[in-house]
Amino acid sequence: MDKSHYVMLMYLIMHLGLIFFMYPENIIASTDAVHWIAIVSGLAVQFIFIAIYMKGLNFFPGKDIIAIYGSAGLGVSLVFLVPIVLYFLMINIITVRAYSEIISIVFLANTPLWAIMILLMLVSTYIAAKGVETIFRTGLLLGLLFLPMILLIFLASFQNVDWNYVFPLYENDFTFWTRPTFYQSFFAFAGSFLFLGFVRTHFPYKDNKVYLTVLSLVPFFIFSVYVPVLTFGQNTASTLHFPYVVVIDTLQINWLIFDRITMFFLFTLITFIMLFTSLILWMTSRIVSCCKPSIKQMYYTQGLAVVIYILCLLVPDWKKVETLFTWNAPLRFYCLIAIPLSVYYLGLRSRRKMRHEHA
Amino acid sequence: MSMLKWTVRLLMLLSIMGLLSGCWDNKDINHRTLPLILGVSLQDHEYKIIMQIPELVHDSVEIKMISESGKTINQAIDKISVNLEKQVDLLHIKVIILERKLAERGMKDAISGFMRSEEISDKAYIVICDEDLNSFFEHLNKTNDPKGMTLYNFFEKNAGWNPQIAISPIWQVYRSVHSYTRDVAIPMIKAGKSTICDYTGSAVIKNGKMIERISPDETLLFNAFNEQSTQGKIEVMNHASVLVVSNSLKHTTSLQNNKPYMQSRLKLKVVILETRGNPTSAIIKQEIDKLLTERFQRLFSKIQKSKADIFGIGQHFRNKIPREELVRWRTDYFPNLQLSLKIVTDIQNEGYLKIRAD
Repeated sequence: MDKSHYVMLMYLIMHLGLIFFMYPENIIASTDAVHWIAIVSGLAVQFIFIAIYMKGLNFFPGKDIIAIYGSAGLGVSLVFLVPIVLYFLMINIITVRAYSEIISIVFLANTPLWAIMILLMLVSTYIAAKGVETIFRTGLLLGLLFLPMILLIFLASFQNVDWNYVFPLYENDFTFWTRPTFYQSFFAFAGSFLFLGFVRTHFPYKDNKVYLTVLSLVPFFIFSVYVPVLTFGQNTASTLHFPYVVVIDTLQINWLIFDRITMFFLFTLITFIMLFTSLILWMTSRIVSCCKPSIKQMYYTQGLAVVIYILCLLVPDWKKVETLFTWNAPLRFYCLIAIPLSVYYLGLRSRRKMRHEHA
Repeated sequence: MSMLKWTVRLLMLLSIMGLLSGCWDNKDINHRTLPLILGVSLQDHEYKIIMQIPELVHDSVEIKMISESGKTINQAIDKISVNLEKQVDLLHIKVIILERKLAERGMKDAISGFMRSEEISDKAYIVICDEDLNSFFEHLNKTNDPKGMTLYNFFEKNAGWNPQIAISPIWQVYRSVHSYTRDVAIPMIKAGKSTICDYTGSAVIKNGKMIERISPDETLLFNAFNEQSTQGKIEVMNHASVLVVSNSLKHTTSLQNNKPYMQSRLKLKVVILETRGNPTSAIIKQEIDKLLTERFQRLFSKIQKSKADIFGIGQHFRNKIPREELVRWRTDYFPNLQLSLKIVTDIQNEGYLKIRAD
């Protein structure tokens, strides 16, 4: 049975949760003008590797990524799965820590961080422990409830734009390649697509529909950067933390009962983030549970959650969060590049073997 | 065994109820005070702030005035909070009044402070007080508006706003501090004789500093130029007075020998209200044209001299001047700008009485 819509929705939700916070800030910091070149080149890289990854997976119908690496031998599994586990752990630590800080900056100034983090972790651990079906069904629910609102706020955010700020449209300036912030911006999309390899046994999907989803997110990536730039101008936008959230704060919608739309925007995105962390947590525990399959996966999930929570507590301030982003970069690119390529290579090899056996 | 399991589950479910209180250190609404208006002035290198605080006295709300001074605005607010039995909560600040002295000295730090704070909304209006802040607030206090909304309604588009009043939320002022090509005009008020406040024009702000002032009529043109609606403004000439119903603007720009040129076309739709004598519609159009063109020239030469681009003209040159050059827009390009404004007037209708065409 085709369950593409679950996968599409999950893909949308995960990325919408990630786009609007750090991504605009990183892109604005990495280039002074012509942001679209930086955005599009990042997305093109992502698109290429998703394509390779899915092509590779298609060589193995009915197998998930763990089984694929498992069939290639213990050494291969260790080389590729251990970095994935480390990367997922890092992602979880960073998201939980960063988003609790965002919550505290934007609206819960009095609440201590450990309390915010415990709530974030509690919900995501609960969903993750219930298994992947629960995660995707929750995704459907959240999508139905919140996607219309996100779309509305996204459209409303164009209220104060001045299109003159678009110019110059082209400049021969590619220095963003050398800026670390450009590589930090990959956090918003690199690696999270790996879930396609984990869930294909539970939720079979059609490749075309995934491509469609990836493309439909492009406007969100572009305008999450351009809306702040068009509203404030590059020079002002570069002084802001979370420029998109600040833009949402400047919107005036008279017919809405609520004065501040920012709250709704954040609440919505944070539910998306909870779902994202629960999916990552589930994938991590899925890999780790292969070490000793006799123990229920649920216990691994809970154990990992405790580890993540403790590590989150050890991060003292926002500057450290940014350092974590930088430390995370090698793993991020390993997962972005090496995993799809290796799956593709293993696929080619297994096909060759099959042909030999038939011949 | 299963009994124990169920008890544990039930207990866990019940314990979740503890989270329902929602917020940490939550203070109930009756222990908070939510001022709507914040006044800031500068007194010997210290900020002095004044707030209006609503207070319940015998079932009716009375507005109390509280003031305090401190090295930073937040210190002053904190001092008030200490001396008050309630917590001061700035979430609902709608209007921030800055004394002119502070605006002339430069309000970069104050504006950045408002932007940084998550409590104060970026949409709050910045207003400059054209007289001593204390006496203004004393005057404001005499009005018996129980909610203290008067000043906010003065600037609110769906309430008392008029097209000759500039509107400047915090974020726009902050943008002008950092932008290469964009400055801002902030409305100025003082205590009125019969009304609550008297609108005295706008302050021209460059990089967070007040450097020039323009009259209400000139502000109208400023608003028209920034494509705000000027609907509802009445213009009085020798032979007629008309009501502006709509306006639109088109620009063409060019750059020759590093000198910027701009042609603008302002299209106005007006309705005739009153006439004096028996003018033809051609005469009325001519008079509008003359009145507005002269006013605009006066305004523009004033702005150009002060090198503050409140019209955002530099914006239209973004595709012609490279970014490295644009940094010097205010000093190198803007003073040399040649701007010609053409005003096209349509008389949409003349009411119940006929008017000769020519």
